[in-house]
Amino acid sequence: MSLARREGLVYGVGALHAAARGDRMMWALHRAALSNGIVPVIPAVAVAEAYRTEARGDRIAELLDGTEVEPFSSEAARRSGELAARCDTTELATIAVIELADRRNCAVVAQRQAVLRNAAALLGHELVLYAV
Amino acid sequence: MVTKRSVSLVDEVATAVEEAAKQDGVSFSAWLSNAAEKQLQVRQGLRGVAAWEGETGSLSAEELAAGEALLARLRSGVSGVASRVRRR
Repeated sequence: MSLARREGLVYGVGALHAAARGDRMMWALHRAALSNGIVPVIPAVAVAEAYRTEARGDRIAELLDGTEVEPFSSEAARRSGELAARCDTTELATIAVIELADRRNCAVVAQRQAVLRNAAALLGHELVLYAV
Repeated sequence: MVTKRSVSLVDEVATAVEEAAKQDGVSFSAWLSNAAEKQLQVRQGLRGVAAWEGETGSLSAEELAAGEALLARLRSGVSGVASRVRRR
């Protein structure tokens, strides 16, 4: 258990899939965040992956209305690429989520994946995860 | 592009914004602009939630409370797993 306070939320591809399939807890969490003045953040690469793998793009768009999609800057791309190499993974959308959560001190909403924990451990980042 | 507007702020708010802008290393105008942009994102986001609720049914009081509780846990650094709340 971690007790370090988080500034906000980062959504991974799983969060967008959960919203698209109508997961009410996901929507309740999203509404709670907005009602508390928190705008969840999503790396642009995760948005691209969600649209690639989800048929209900309209539902993704509704969720994205209340998020900040962070562009994949050259610095974030470098950090993510290096971290992916150390994790021996091609899951760049997942790695970008951890890189962003570490940099902006956020909790993560995503599917439970070993690569999330591996990447967090390599960064020395204490992962706070809501597994959808 | 930048639009210049004359705005009036309560003295205490103006002082607090001045201090916050200094701490964040941005100008008074940039700080206010960022705050307004975030408020617009929240507003737009809540409209998105309302649109989803219009299609699928409003979130119940129990669901709203569960969302608030989950957010509080995550912000305090406690991980969680997906749970279902009963829909009324």
